[in-house]
Amino acid sequence: MPAVTPALAAIIFTAGAVSGTLGALLGLGGGVFLVPFLNLVLGFPFGVAAAISLTTVIATSSTVSAGRAGRQLINMRLGMLLEVATAGGSFLGGITAHLVAQSVLQRLFGIVAAVVAIIMLTRLRRRNVILDPAAEPGVLGGRYYEDESRTRVTYRVRRLPVAIGASFLAGNVSSLLGIGGGIIKVPILNAWCGIPLRAAAATSAFMIGVTATAGGVIYYGRGQIVPTLAAAAVLGVQIGSWGGMRFGAAASAKWLKILMAAVLFVVSAMMFARGGR
Amino acid sequence: MTQGERRAGAERLERIIGRVLRAGVTTSSVCLAVGLLWAMAAETSSMPRLLMQTGIIVLLATPVARVVVSVAEYVVERDWPFATLTAIVLLELLASAVAALLFNRRL
Repeated sequence: MPAVTPALAAIIFTAGAVSGTLGALLGLGGGVFLVPFLNLVLGFPFGVAAAISLTTVIATSSTVSAGRAGRQLINMRLGMLLEVATAGGSFLGGITAHLVAQSVLQRLFGIVAAVVAIIMLTRLRRRNVILDPAAEPGVLGGRYYEDESRTRVTYRVRRLPVAIGASFLAGNVSSLLGIGGGIIKVPILNAWCGIPLRAAAATSAFMIGVTATAGGVIYYGRGQIVPTLAAAAVLGVQIGSWGGMRFGAAASAKWLKILMAAVLFVVSAMMFARGGR
Repeated sequence: MTQGERRAGAERLERIIGRVLRAGVTTSSVCLAVGLLWAMAAETSSMPRLLMQTGIIVLLATPVARVVVSVAEYVVERDWPFATLTAIVLLELLASAVAALLFNRRL
């Protein structure tokens, strides 16, 4: 493991800022970029990379959700229901992380990421919103003001068991690989459960704080959250996600989806390259 | 519970949660920033490490505090299904803390 010098802290800070910006734009934690960077480029052990990444995921979630609170974009009730599944999955992942071969997990993640990217690309034009303002969202659905169409949009949640299953899987992968799990939840909530991308991303960003904490606490107990590295990464991600949040409101849902799919393919290829070694 | 009451409760909860998250993330960021700069300037002192540890613990505690606040709010609103769901999430987080203590003892 490389020694922590001011130069290394600066590099990690910058990497955090880039990951944070991309993460906030895509509704991911940003860990998807940070884990490969810390592990492959800087040569930190995978467990340490995952632990640092989970710490930044918590920070991103808290910052982004604090900034969005009061705008009804976060579906709190749905988020809290699905958290039961993500936190459970994350807890199980956290206690089994050191038992599973890393190469197996990396290849599995590569497959999942590629499949999700393809789903995103085939559903670019779907909107999932009911424009009639009098429509009832039901107990779990939501309403929010959409900037693009300048109206209040309503949506209903469909196929709840699928959302719960995806959340459990996302929580599990989160603590095993050190990511937020939004990479799995957001596309599935959007493609199959009727939730608009913007609301799915906001709700996912809200949930990943609790998800990453369930796994992060276990990494903390193992002593894998190195304070200096975590501090540099978290501060970088804080600044990056603040910037990404500003920019994200202006980007259109279609371009967000295309960008997200491209990112997923790159992550998939990187995971395969690493898992094959 | 009427639709209006439920919406008013949801908006209040969203505001409280926003405040809890902002307070937690601000406290931890300040601790981490001061600790990191201090550690880079003077490597011998143990204070910067303590500050960064505090920052990490506050960061980990923030989502837990958010769940605690949600449980309390749903209990006050007598929204039992959601009080139960958020209480389960809290138990899962406590289970993680117990697992962390067990790992810590083994190492």
